Amino acid sequence: MTLLEVQALTKEFGGLRANCDISFNVHQGEMVGIIGPNGAGKTTLFNCISGLYPVTSGRIIFAGRDITRLKAHEVARLGLARTFQVYAATGDLTVEENVMVGCFLRTRSRSQAMARAKQILYDLKLEDLSHYRVSELPVAAQKRVTMATALGLDPKLLLLDEVAAGLNPNEVEEVMANIKHVHSDLGITVMLIEHVMEMVMKISHRIVVLDYGEKIAEGDPQSIAKDPRVIKAYLGERYVREHGGELSPSS
Amino acid sequence: MEVLRNALDFSDFPRVDLCVAALVASFLLIFPLFHFSSFAMATMIQFLMFSLYGMGWNTIGGYGGQVDLGKAQYVGIGAYTTSVMLIRWDVPFWVSMPVGMSFAVLWSFIIGYPLFRLKGHYFAIATIATSLVLKDLFEVWDFVGAARGLEISPIKYHPPDFLRLIFKEDVYYYYVILGFFFLGIFYVNWFRKSRLGFQLRSIKDNEDVARSLGINVHWAKVKTYAIATAFVSLVGSFHACYIKNIEPEDTMSLDISILIALMAMLGGAGSLWGPIIGAGVLIPLKSYLKEWLGAKAGLVGIDLIIYAVIIMLISAVEPRGIWGIVEKARRRRSV
Ligand SMILES: Nc1ncnc2c1ncn2[C@@H]1O[C@H](COP(=O)(O)OP(=O)(O)O)[C@@H](O)[C@H]1O
Ligand SMILES: [Mg+2]
Repeated sequence: MTLLEVQALTKEFGGLRANCDISFNVHQGEMVGIIGPNGAGKTTLFNCISGLYPVTSGRIIFAGRDITRLKAHEVARLGLARTFQVYAATGDLTVEENVMVGCFLRTRSRSQAMARAKQILYDLKLEDLSHYRVSELPVAAQKRVTMATALGLDPKLLLLDEVAAGLNPNEVEEVMANIKHVHSDLGITVMLIEHVMEMVMKISHRIVVLDYGEKIAEGDPQSIAKDPRVIKAYLGERYVREHGGELSPSS
Repeated sequence: MEVLRNALDFSDFPRVDLCVAALVASFLLIFPLFHFSSFAMATMIQFLMFSLYGMGWNTIGGYGGQVDLGKAQYVGIGAYTTSVMLIRWDVPFWVSMPVGMSFAVLWSFIIGYPLFRLKGHYFAIATIATSLVLKDLFEVWDFVGAARGLEISPIKYHPPDFLRLIFKEDVYYYYVILGFFFLGIFYVNWFRKSRLGFQLRSIKDNEDVARSLGINVHWAKVKTYAIATAFVSLVGSFHACYIKNIEPEDTMSLDISILIALMAMLGGAGSLWGPIIGAGVLIPLKSYLKEWLGAKAGLVGIDLIIYAVIIMLISAVEPRGIWGIVEKARRRRSV
């Protein structure tokens, strides 16, 4: 079943075309990676899908509904959650309180929101941090908190914008374990923007490549790694030399 | 039930806070037994009133981070509704106060809906403007006494009149406003833990993130603005019965709006105790300055200078006010 359809999406800022005629589908239960050089329009794509930016033209269908003109909070209520590339989490609040903000979307009751938040933190192995203020935590932990908060919305689709950027290999492992849990155990469809190639090639079923606002390729990780346009625009020869041929979603 | 339990539950505060709060509460309860001067009594009533104004302001201004400098218009709506209804139709306080609150809340929706499309300084300036416009309107509106204002003459009543809130001795007023003060604390204690309270803190931090978490940012602000307004209007109604003589120039002046915001910010915006601490520091200071310095040396306006200095100090030293300093010191010790 198709969960998300992006149809000929175009987003312009003044004269700049940040997204240009982009189309692709995301199926229920899939894990889709979005890659591309800096400034390719990946974050803009997420901002359009999640309703923060009005699109210039094109349509976005989510769970059978046209959400192109909906506001961000309406999109979120339909079950589309996201994290942000630069933003961490509300620093003044504790980790648990941050997650509660998300949980309050589905309940008015404080005790229910709190119980749900505790459950999510436990699932993501963050319960030890529950009572720390977010501002006291390292960036890696803050990023995982934003994921936990997004899960509070009880989403059908989760958009992750560079959750592994700037993390050391151990931290990348933790984040990856979290993403796998969200995807396999909770059955949430995931779309992730990522520069950490080892990670995105490993866990994605399908990859969409953007360059200068355009979709230049789409396919499974192996064919993407061999695609000459992708290598030229983004991956570079070095990556292919080191990893070429041995890539598969399960490895 | 859960609402009540949350309102009465202060257990997330450290024990020191609760001990200090209990001490202060006990002192407030027995304060009249000490028979201090009538000046002290009047100052205490002002302190309680401004604490309540500040608690209301703190919901939208502190937790929500929307600097509102137009609260005087709602003091005016509350005060005028109660005065007019009492003078013209002999309506008791306990009826006119909720009526005034309804008018104020209605007005807050009319004002808030367009105003919250604005951000930051534009919002703050727009709140000042609307408040001044309403004041000017009241100054030419004959039905409410225009610039002369309204006077409740106590001789028509038989104090102590608990229905109309007409008393001879200030101690009655003191206990009435003290009751509201405690209710106000319980309300805000519930509010800060409620869904709306959490949503506001998310909004204050980053509106786009709040939106993507399913929060209707505009509506949350408008709602909270109405809550803040209800507090202010209630105290305005009380003010009318207590002072018995209201005119636009006093009741709805820009000074009042600024003082309300300033007090909450000085004490600590976005914290439960902040507005109370702020009022506890500023009101005695203001009374003292007015009573002695102002009268003696003709130093009218020195209070404004002091306010300006306070604003600069807050923004330079600790944006979270006195309570922010306390919390910082505490965290440093615990690390
Ligand atoms: N709000 C905005 N206003 C103007 N230009 C923007 C805005 N957001 C992004 N852009 C521009 O759109 C292009 C794509 O940016 P972005 O989507 O952030 O890229 P990526 O996430 O792939 O690095 C960039 O040239 C960027 O400067
Ligand atoms: Mg980006």
